[in-house]
Amino acid sequence: MSVERHEIHEQSVGAYALGALEELEAKHFEAHLEECHLCRDELERLRPAVDALARSVTPLPAPPAVKAALMAEVEADLRERGDSRAPGILSRLRERFAVTGGSIAGVRPAVAWVSAALVLLVGGVTGFAISQSTSDSGAETLAATVDERNLPGGSGSLLVPGDPDGGAILRVHGMPPLDNKSVYQVWVQRDGETISQSLFSVGMDGTGAAAVSEDLEGADAVMVTREQAQGARAPTGDPIITVPL
Amino acid sequence: MALVQEGNPRAFEMLYDRHGGPAFSLAYRMVGNRVTAEDISQEAFLSIWRSRLRYQPERGSVRTWVLGIVHHRAIDALRRNLVHDKRRASAEGIEERFEAPEQTDVEVARMDEANIVRGAIKELPDEQAKVIELAYFGGFSHSKIAEMLEMPIGTVKGRMRLGLDKLRRQLEGGVVYER
Repeated sequence: MSVERHEIHEQSVGAYALGALEELEAKHFEAHLEECHLCRDELERLRPAVDALARSVTPLPAPPAVKAALMAEVEADLRERGDSRAPGILSRLRERFAVTGGSIAGVRPAVAWVSAALVLLVGGVTGFAISQSTSDSGAETLAATVDERNLPGGSGSLLVPGDPDGGAILRVHGMPPLDNKSVYQVWVQRDGETISQSLFSVGMDGTGAAAVSEDLEGADAVMVTREQAQGARAPTGDPIITVPL
Repeated sequence: MALVQEGNPRAFEMLYDRHGGPAFSLAYRMVGNRVTAEDISQEAFLSIWRSRLRYQPERGSVRTWVLGIVHHRAIDALRRNLVHDKRRASAEGIEERFEAPEQTDVEVARMDEANIVRGAIKELPDEQAKVIELAYFGGFSHSKIAEMLEMPIGTVKGRMRLGLDKLRRQLEGGVVYER
């Protein structure tokens, strides 16, 4: 590392610590940090001051709604991985609908509690808590195909529970957040017909989840299109995400 | 934190209970909008849950790490113009819009700490405090700040560095840094 290169970069230490470098400049600076202990030392010296800035704000209470939404996502993640540590919602629902012998399989309640428990989780402007229900066995995760032209880097999966009365959860990643004039809409395709399921938006990190309450037996695919904010009666464009069934 | 890194949901819940308030407070301070601040803090914690293996204790406290993630996401939101109302909440008066938190020892200590740091910031020369405020809380890049204040980029960078150095020296005797 040359002295000249250090002199070029040393004035950027403060700006980098504050997050004030442009993205490309920050990457160059990070590359420089790997070879310049002087700048690394300076950054470490200034870091406590930056950390203190975060502590200078007026303390506010943590929003309970955020916690509820977070824990719903955590539970959904654990279910997707087949992790038995997912607590709370599913076990509470099971207690409510427990039948003799403790098995739910084969019981068809008057109101499908699985579907009733499914609400939309939106990672964007508005949020609702999602209570997902799957049975412990028979759940299946299906990978989505993505329109790479319109959704580079995007991905998705559909978690289909083993219970035939249960709804499915579509999880997406890497999708561009939309402005408030547009929304993503989920459809089930069956025998040439498309049936609207739900509307959702994604968070700034491009992740989101949507409910598919339709019984998927005999369906051809689950799809996502981009629509006007109020949704559409039929897809107005080609699907950007498709999960073949 | 070790349990969070192992994917323990109860440990993650405790992490949020402990750091969710400061995370939301910082996000709100930056974007000035409750819904957006909630989104930012939710997404920050989600990214912590999903990339929990990346926390490195030798680089700082958990609090520092969490607030760093929140700060980064808030800057992204500001620079992408996702916050349509660009007025930033001032530090004054925010507490009047929210239900006052129960004054536990922790909250009292946090308020004291906030007051100490704000006092130290006020001691900085105006031109240094201004560029730090615009960068850290406003999410503006150094080039944008230079344009706004009509001064060379080099001057902006220099004031950032000098201001942080002075802030560090002022605080060294007064605030305990978590390690």
